[in-house]
Amino acid sequence: MPPILRIPNSIVGAMIAHARELDPYECCGLLAGTPGTVSRHYRITNTVAQDARAVAVFDEADVKPLAALSESTRAEVAYFMEPKEMLAAFKDMRARELDLTVIYHSHTHSPAYPSMTDVGLAYYPEAAYLIISLEDKTTPDLRAFWIKDRRVTPAAIETI
Amino acid sequence: MIKVRIPTPLRTLTKGRGEVESAGSTIDDLIGRLNQAYPGIKDRLCDEQGELRRFVNVYVNEEDIRFLKGKDTALKSGDDVSIVPAIAGGC
Repeated sequence: MPPILRIPNSIVGAMIAHARELDPYECCGLLAGTPGTVSRHYRITNTVAQDARAVAVFDEADVKPLAALSESTRAEVAYFMEPKEMLAAFKDMRARELDLTVIYHSHTHSPAYPSMTDVGLAYYPEAAYLIISLEDKTTPDLRAFWIKDRRVTPAAIETI
Repeated sequence: MIKVRIPTPLRTLTKGRGEVESAGSTIDDLIGRLNQAYPGIKDRLCDEQGELRRFVNVYVNEEDIRFLKGKDTALKSGDDVSIVPAIAGGC
């Protein structure tokens, strides 16, 4: 059984704040820690609207036809983490001897469940995929999932 | 030798190792040699035409090879190569 993910309250709050700040656009980021316990939060810029590579990555996985959407619409329905920021976050994790534990993003107008796009682009089986839904703007809903070989199972979260 | 960082999904091919060493004069050469040592790794990184899959980012000493010479990017002993899958999704 994968471990229960323990996430400090302050980091949960910071993720929700991130999601609200970028609403109606999707936010994204990474959490790191020791197995099962999150201790570090990295905001990563969502460059889906600006980076031509995003279109190629989505097309290759045959998930969402990004090219058919205007650039501003793209960021309302998708995210693509800025590669250099990702690399810097991974480097920081190695320096601190932390593991990647969570990959998060927001759904600004749909529930906190992985979409086919999320499943088709899940290349990190070791991390839980956490989604912050702002479908109900007053009550954000957070849920996490393991996505392995296109199979989705709920990941237990405990706020500490 | 060149140090290569392997992402988790490919570690089933590298006997669980997250970092391996290999020789190679270019990224293309390195991938060929990695495939000899760890059969199947090339198919995971490259498409049928032998081009790097789009979701696979390759960095040489933290420089994205797409901004260098792609698969023809030259390597020398002591270089650090990182293979980092993209992180993306959406509602």
